[in-house]
Parts: sequence; structure tokens; C-alpha cells
Amino acid sequence: MDDFLSFILNIGLFHYLVLAMILFLIGLCGVLISRNLVRIIMSLFIMTVSVVINFLSFGCYCDSSLEDANMMGIFILLIAVVQTIVALVILYKIYQANEYLDSEKIKDKEN
Amino acid sequence: MLEEVFCFYILFFAIIVSAIGIILAPRMFLAMISFFLLICMTSLLYLTLNASYIALFQFILCGVVLGVYIFLLLKKIGRLNLKLKLVPVLKIISGAFFTVAFGVLCCLFMNEEFENSLYSIFNYITEKSSDIVDFAGHVFPLHLVILLVLISAIVIRVYLINRSEDV
Repeated sequence: MDDFLSFILNIGLFHYLVLAMILFLIGLCGVLISRNLVRIIMSLFIMTVSVVINFLSFGCYCDSSLEDANMMGIFILLIAVVQTIVALVILYKIYQANEYLDSEKIKDKEN
Repeated sequence: MLEEVFCFYILFFAIIVSAIGIILAPRMFLAMISFFLLICMTSLLYLTLNASYIALFQFILCGVVLGVYIFLLLKKIGRLNLKLKLVPVLKIISGAFFTVAFGVLCCLFMNEEFENSLYSIFNYITEKSSDIVDFAGHVFPLHLVILLVLISAIVIRVYLINRSEDV
């Protein structure tokens, strides 16, 4: 019992990694079960955020410098934002062509 | 000490709830609110990791710029009140199965490799990168990248406008 309490109360690298893993799994689940393309793109962004949390927690709790982890995180975020915006523009074009954002309907139409 | 623990767990659950809200919110605008909350909460989490620069960066770039961009896009196409639609049950079950399998694999990997490999890989990368270039050396190319992205966006935009006029 004391071990469990001390584990709960001493916040460390493991706690942040668990949070990142849960976030990644929620994002993955969102990509798998959503039909709306906007939700799928947002789920992909959740997965990216979890990766950034991983980097920052390693940077904070390992011997390495936090500034390097910061820079890696910033580059990941920057690329993720650009990728999301490009995906949304493509999505807008799909909407203009089809009048819906449903992945199943788009797949049916292609078939 | 206790405040730090309290703060971490509040952020922990807030982030997970807002992430679940994004994929399971009944209406699209609720998913947007969840998305904004997720960005705010993760920015606060970065502050607990002493990463204030990236927290501000994420809040401005993702929370304000990207959030407003998605909101305006949804408003433009009139899909802010769109109802939640999920894939068929069979696909949900198979998706959940694969997600759980992936989670178990992640846990096994962490259990096996946590003590040495992940540390050593991360330290290897940061040692190699921090030997030569310091923080300012990283920031300067970032500005160049942003400038190049903007210039290329303008060039592509002008090219596409000219092309559409030709057509």
C-alpha cells in the first residue's frame, strides 16, 4: 500500500509516458472509428501532441538538455500544423466536389 | 509537493477527457471546444515540464491559429452542428481490438526496454545534436523554415491563380 501511494505521489517520467501512451491510443481509436474527416484529422493531431509530450518528458527527466527537446517538439508541432492545414484544404476541395465529409460515403462513391 | 501532484492529476484527467470529447462529442462544435481545451491543457502540462517556450508556441499556433482555422472552415461549409457518426459496429470492435493489442505491445515494450534503451537512444540523439549547435542555432533555421514556407505558399497560390485563369 505504501509503495502504491509513493508511486502515485512521486510524479516522474513514467507518469508522463503513461499519459502520452493513453493520448496516443485515444487518437488512434479516433482515427479508426470516426467517419467524419475533420474528426479524423483532429485525432491525428492528438497523436502528434502525445509524441511531443514524450519528447518533453524525456528532456525534462533525463540528463539531456531540455532546450533540445523543446526544439524537437517545436519542429514536430510546426510540421503537424502545416500537415493539418494542408489536409483541411484537401478536405474542403473534397467537400466542394461531393457535398459531404463522410469517409464511408466517399469510399462508396469511389467504388 | 502536494500541489504539484494535484496539478498533474487534474491536467492528466482533463487532457484525457477532452481527447475523448474530440472523438465522441455529439456535435461538431462541442468537438471543437474539446480540441481547444486539449490544446490549453497540454500547454499547461508543458509548463509543469519547465517548457514554457513550447507551451506558448503550441497555444498560439495550435490553439489560436489552427483552432480558429478549423472553426472558420466548418462555419463556411455549414457543418458546425454536424452529428456524431461512427463506423459500423464490426469495424469499431476490430478497431478496438487492434488498439488494445497495440497498447499491450506498447506496455510490453516499455516494461522490457524502459530501464536502458529509451534513455540511451534519446541521450544519443541529444548529445549528437547539442555538441555543435546551441539553442539559438536551432531557432535561427526555424525562422528560415517559416519564411520559406510562406514564400512557397505565395508562389504556389499565384501559380494556381494564373493556371485557373488560363483554364
